[in-house]
Amino acid sequence: MKPLLINIKGITTLTILFGIAVVVFLFALPKFVTSTYALHIMILIFISVITGSGWNILGGYTGQYSVGHAAYFGVGAYTTMVLLQYRHIVPWYGIWAGAAVALATGLIIGSICFRLRGPYFVLASIAVAEIFRVSALNLKDLTNGAEGILISDIPPLQIGDTVITDFLSKVPFYYTGLVMAICVIFVTWLVQNSKLGYYFQAIREDQDAAHSLGINLTLYKNAALALSAIFTSFAGSLYALYVGFIDPGTVLDLGLSVQIVMSCIIGGIGTIFGPMIGAIILVPFSEALRSNVIAQALIDSGLVSEQSALGSFLKEQLSHAHVLIYGILLVVVILFMPDGILGFLRKLGAKKRKEAS
Amino acid sequence: MALLEINRVSKFFGGLAANSDISFEVPQGTIMGLIGPNGAGKTTLFNCITGFYPPSRGEILFNHQLMNGLHPDAVCKLGMARTWQKVRPLAKMSVLDNVMVGALCRTNSLRTARSAALEQLKVVHLEHRAGVKAGSLPIGERKKLEVARVLATQPKLLLLDEVMGGLNPAESEELIELILEINKLGITQMVIEHNMRAIMRISDRIVVLNSGEKLAEGSPEEIVANQAVVHAYLGESNA
Repeated sequence: MKPLLINIKGITTLTILFGIAVVVFLFALPKFVTSTYALHIMILIFISVITGSGWNILGGYTGQYSVGHAAYFGVGAYTTMVLLQYRHIVPWYGIWAGAAVALATGLIIGSICFRLRGPYFVLASIAVAEIFRVSALNLKDLTNGAEGILISDIPPLQIGDTVITDFLSKVPFYYTGLVMAICVIFVTWLVQNSKLGYYFQAIREDQDAAHSLGINLTLYKNAALALSAIFTSFAGSLYALYVGFIDPGTVLDLGLSVQIVMSCIIGGIGTIFGPMIGAIILVPFSEALRSNVIAQALIDSGLVSEQSALGSFLKEQLSHAHVLIYGILLVVVILFMPDGILGFLRKLGAKKRKEAS
Repeated sequence: MALLEINRVSKFFGGLAANSDISFEVPQGTIMGLIGPNGAGKTTLFNCITGFYPPSRGEILFNHQLMNGLHPDAVCKLGMARTWQKVRPLAKMSVLDNVMVGALCRTNSLRTARSAALEQLKVVHLEHRAGVKAGSLPIGERKKLEVARVLATQPKLLLLDEVMGGLNPAESEELIELILEINKLGITQMVIEHNMRAIMRISDRIVVLNSGEKLAEGSPEEIVANQAVVHAYLGESNA
């Protein structure tokens, strides 16, 4: 008996209903959640979902592990901000300009780096991203160097004379992020269910076999990179506008590149929902570490006494150790869940079903 | 009419001549056997023909079109497809998806590709494995999958690189049947094989390579009777 599980292109109606429910819930959320901190976390999650999904197209589906995606994030962020600050071009155009510049840089980088395979491609992608970071530090006329770019206010979004939003609270950013994330996930789904998706995965599994089956490697790798760069630059632009400040150390940093890859690996690469799960776990987790919620909770629950050496150590140091804990988490996931949390859950589900039948 | 013409093809790796001055023709609709001891340059020749290596010298003509310098994907689109000595399944994709990747060479529609792929799976008798991950197939079925996948690209010429390597006699027999069936579909084939019994049975003509050079060419009967070929395989007799 399988009443609700009718297959439409690999998704069940149950999943569709669940998806619609989640989307409706997310759209309604700002109506009854007024805490700006909660909205802040949600916006960060959306940005992480967009970047993760962007990386996933190139890294997860096509198997080209770029550890230089901060380049596209930064290019998007800087283009939007520079245009806004020095040319007074409103961000709704600036974001697209950012995507175009990211696309162009992506294709230039791709045509060079895609000659390399495996670890050499990874190293090249890191090197290219570093070039961008160092350039942004030194091209002071364009980027304001290490001081970064600070914007105080964003021009309101208008159609004709009607003001749609003035971007004064977090809510408009929340909706922008939500819509962008939904679009990116939808495009990923389209890709997965098209020739592109098949070709991307074939390239991931075996480049030579793919090549011999009539797949133009350069063309399809660059197509994957193009999509990936555009998504990542959208996230960069949104981040820049939301935070209002960028500098090379935040939007072009190697640490950011690593974080993008990590959230995908932890969630599950090469799947639509992997980056989402990675974002939902990692963003609140790192926020909790940073704001000392975890140490405080351990103390409050009475597990660790505040006066003990361990207690004071946790309270003092845990917030600084989030990178270390990230690292440990990554090692654990790679060792015990090589397909990420999503893959692990799926395997668990398959096992349960096997046992039941 | 010759579908494939190999015209004085040489391939050098540094000072090593992996292929030197090889010429032969593969007529339309036939099965051409390619044999030779290990290291004779059979796979290198396949790589040259299918665009993985550019030949250092000579010409490769397919359908009277010069193939030199074309990339493997272009070669495939023109109707020449190869399998690999070491099978290369797209491990994390299903058997059906593997064949669909081949079929997508000729169509942009997943639906068309899917039905074409199912048809090819029937040809190689793998339709019952369509939903299985390709990486979990045993070697015999992997070899068949490899054949189904290249068939799905609708080749005019199929190059099979040791499809029977590592198979037991029963599985080899199935592949022999398969190759003969493919021949009946009108697809020309070039087959590298170490299994002599098989190659003698299926080939219309055989080319023998040794140390990168063409040693002999002829019908299976002629090859068996050729002293130079026997020497290449068994060594010179001092008696």
